[in-house]
Amino acid sequence: MVSLLLQGLALGVLTGGLYALLASGLSLYFGVMRVVMVAHPAFLFLAAYLTYTVHTTLGVDPFLALPLTVPLFFGLGVAVQRLLIARLAPDNLAMMSVLLTFGIALTIEGLLGTFYTGSYKSVSMEYATRSLSVGGVHLPYDKIIAFGVAGLTLAVLFAVLIRSRFGQALRATIQHREAARLVGIRTERVAGYGFGVGLATAAVGGTVLALITPFFPASHWVWIGKLMAIIVVGGLGSVVGAALAAVLLGVVEGLVLVTVDATWATMMFYVFLFLTLLARPQGFFGGRLAHRF
Amino acid sequence: MARVRKGLTTISICALALTACAKTDEPGAAQSPGQQQGPVKIGISLPLTGDFSEPGKGIQEGYKVWADQVNAKGGLLGRKVELIFRDDASDPNRVSSDYESLITQDKVNLVFGPFSSRLVIPAAKVAESYGMLFVEPAGAAAEVFEQGFRRLFYAAPAIASDHYNYLADYIIKLPADQKPKTAAYASLDDPFAQGTAYGLRDKLAAAGIKTVVDEVYPPETTDFAPIAAKIAAAKPDLVVGGTQFEDSVGLVRALQELRVQPKLAAFSTGPTLAEFPAAVKGAAEHILSPVGWSATATFPGNQEMVKRYKELFGGDANEDAANGYTVGQIVEAAVNAVKCVDPTKECQDKLTEHIRQGTFETVVGPLSFDDKGRPEQAHMIQQYVNGKIEIVLPEQAKTAGLVYPKREW
Amino acid sequence: MHTVSRGLPLLLAALAIAYPWLAPNYYLVYAGALTVMYAAMSTSWNLLGGFTGYVSLGHSAFFGLGAYGTGLLVVRLDVPWAVALLASALLVTVFAVGVGIAAVRVRGASFVIVSIALVSMMNLIVQGWRSLTGGSTGLQVPTPFPGLHRGQTHMVFFYLFLVLLALALLSWWYVSRSRFGAGLRAIREDEDKAESLGVPTGAYKVAAFALSALFVALAGGLYALWFGSLDPIFVFSILIASSMVLMSLLGGVRHLYGPLLGALIVAPAGEYFLIALGETQIHLTATGLVLVLVVLFMPDGILARFTRKRTGPSIPDESADQRLQGVTR
Repeated sequence: MVSLLLQGLALGVLTGGLYALLASGLSLYFGVMRVVMVAHPAFLFLAAYLTYTVHTTLGVDPFLALPLTVPLFFGLGVAVQRLLIARLAPDNLAMMSVLLTFGIALTIEGLLGTFYTGSYKSVSMEYATRSLSVGGVHLPYDKIIAFGVAGLTLAVLFAVLIRSRFGQALRATIQHREAARLVGIRTERVAGYGFGVGLATAAVGGTVLALITPFFPASHWVWIGKLMAIIVVGGLGSVVGAALAAVLLGVVEGLVLVTVDATWATMMFYVFLFLTLLARPQGFFGGRLAHRF
Repeated sequence: MARVRKGLTTISICALALTACAKTDEPGAAQSPGQQQGPVKIGISLPLTGDFSEPGKGIQEGYKVWADQVNAKGGLLGRKVELIFRDDASDPNRVSSDYESLITQDKVNLVFGPFSSRLVIPAAKVAESYGMLFVEPAGAAAEVFEQGFRRLFYAAPAIASDHYNYLADYIIKLPADQKPKTAAYASLDDPFAQGTAYGLRDKLAAAGIKTVVDEVYPPETTDFAPIAAKIAAAKPDLVVGGTQFEDSVGLVRALQELRVQPKLAAFSTGPTLAEFPAAVKGAAEHILSPVGWSATATFPGNQEMVKRYKELFGGDANEDAANGYTVGQIVEAAVNAVKCVDPTKECQDKLTEHIRQGTFETVVGPLSFDDKGRPEQAHMIQQYVNGKIEIVLPEQAKTAGLVYPKREW
Repeated sequence: MHTVSRGLPLLLAALAIAYPWLAPNYYLVYAGALTVMYAAMSTSWNLLGGFTGYVSLGHSAFFGLGAYGTGLLVVRLDVPWAVALLASALLVTVFAVGVGIAAVRVRGASFVIVSIALVSMMNLIVQGWRSLTGGSTGLQVPTPFPGLHRGQTHMVFFYLFLVLLALALLSWWYVSRSRFGAGLRAIREDEDKAESLGVPTGAYKVAAFALSALFVALAGGLYALWFGSLDPIFVFSILIASSMVLMSLLGGVRHLYGPLLGALIVAPAGEYFLIALGETQIHLTATGLVLVLVVLFMPDGILARFTRKRTGPSIPDESADQRLQGVTR
């Protein structure tokens, strides 16, 4: 039993790392625009499909798709923000953006289904089915890779946010948009780039997802609820909070899966979501005003 | 309270006027003579988009191959066959409205079934209430046959819980020193997938093979490693997955990663699909699955179907396509025997009666049905041997011997 | 002008009542009943969404609970159908009050997330609780009118849904003229100001949430009786709620007849897309694009275009952002 719990814990941490990567973009969007991007998981699978295409047509390692998808997704992100989100009336932005991105998600799903058909695709590498054993606990290589890539991407993201001028401008925009504008930050442009960075994380996340799970056009639906729960528990708009909440929920999910069953494990995301709202509506790391949006 | 009264009033008003409600297209209403001469219209709703779109497409292709061959032979009773497809988007509302419109608006002569046990029940309800024969290619779950449908037939060798029958017999008859002692079951929460796994579980449990893990996971599950961890901790001799596609891949990968080494591994559906070996790489070796159809079988029409499928669609025919084709074969035989193909009650009754009594030569072998529409035959068992799909059970159909215990992953 | 606005609804009502007799076949009666069901649901969705501006994607949860509640009462406890329908709708309303208390603590985006989570949660519970609900094998509900054939059943349910629609419209109209409605509108325009002016925003929001859930639950219950087979993944589908939202939005959330108009457009259009573009998944893209276009170019809906009424908030509500833009320029 102890070894089973340890195994569950280890898997939970690895999965949590992946969740952190997948949810980081959502936090960014919310931070810069107060927007809930329902289409984020759809973009993840768009990236997974592109990775699949690159992998199967060129026969190269899936990660070599990144130099193509990351800039592409950055550009798409900027475009989505500038051309669509920024046009919405500000008085009901939060609500309308949900519907707008919901429409985008449907659009992507339909296109994926049209071009790739509804059949399952998967990218499987030789290393994807082996595992590293540490004291009786097996750590699957694909999950280690996913965790590593997630960690690396998040590290780069944090470095950009904290060190670079763009990062400072972005954080200023997140913290107080009007004040940021008053000190001379061009918040519109920064918000666009923030969206771009968010979608760029989706490009990385999609590649990782493609490695560890088969996918089909409607796959994105199951991720929406989970990722949303993570960013609320972490505190809307807080990238660090989302990362910590992701690992926490990953571990809880892993432990519940090995001790109870899969239904309760998925349910934990929503239980934590509701507990968070009752106890601390702003989330555990969000700013005081997060629940206003 | 006022609301109840208002509702009841409305109902009674309509009930009073119901005699006036009769539409010209009352089921069984006389056909205009002109319609007798047109093509035989067959209405089909399939999930061409959404969760079940892949098998839906397979079945559609099976139907098309059948129609193509019938028309090449001169049609049904000398009339051309025209298939009318509707997309139900994997949604039961749509399935119902599709059959509703096909029957009452397009006035089709026959209907064929949709895909998935989850969609067959609502669809069969519509067909049943309009008195239409309903032969279906994919509703294998036990519940489908417990709804009191009188015109429903499942055109495949066996219902879900009987899919593993040959394997169960094989395991139970193993000599005591080789016989597995423990078994782990993991199943998707889906009536069909669960039906297959539980059919085997119940038979093995009755024969004294202990169930050490019995997991059910919802369709939302994306991470199978912790489920595999549970199985790993129990060290079972057998692993059985009641799966569809993505979870079979997820489970196989996770079992490998956690170094579960059972003597025998069986998964439903997933391994029978062409994408499976590529998705799990070498791990496919020695995995067992129930399969209702084999591309190499010599049942009447099978080789022609395989060949024509290739000509029409390029790839290789799969079990879904074969099931669709089987529906066509059964209905075709019935129509030719009773010499009518009208949507009228009399004709549909005759067709239904004929199918209930008869035995039909199909690409999945001879089929006959019990009084609830359940087929009375059995699924074969396939195994990946040296990277190729071989039929290993039953004895009379096998193309290779069953490898047991399986190679380590 | 006045007579037109009075006469038009009456004419439409007469047309609606005559519709099942005018429809040439039962499929069109069936499709009509489905459309009226959606119209009733989006009108009740609008009791929350239109007045308070809170967009809920979670109303499928109430639909599903109403359906399962009615179905379970009929199947497991042999309760007469009409009693089961009302009892389950009341239970769902009580449940909605509970959920509402937690959900309306948050605004905007968080509220949407909570509502999405609610649907997923209910789906998991109903699917997982096999011994009660039948789980993934679904629940089969016997028809309440065994004497009628299928087409006649469609006609009965067409009228039942029509009654529900009328009740939902009446409620919306009544609320819109009440103090309660004024309070809800104040919440939409500026929740903080409303609160400081003494509007009991919390209680009002919960009340609107519950009232809106009540009618959706009734629609769910009728659906269960009519349709006869329930499957958790389909009744607890976020797509049902998103249809309610799309219909309301397209028609116009600030108008009594907005959601009804939206339903009359969206339901047949969805059918058309499916038939015209059915062979590929491109019809999803078409639906998605329509939603995007409506949100971008017609967020106030069709009716707003045809009425002279100001559609914006009564106080010009430029955001702090816009005001700032004026200052910094």
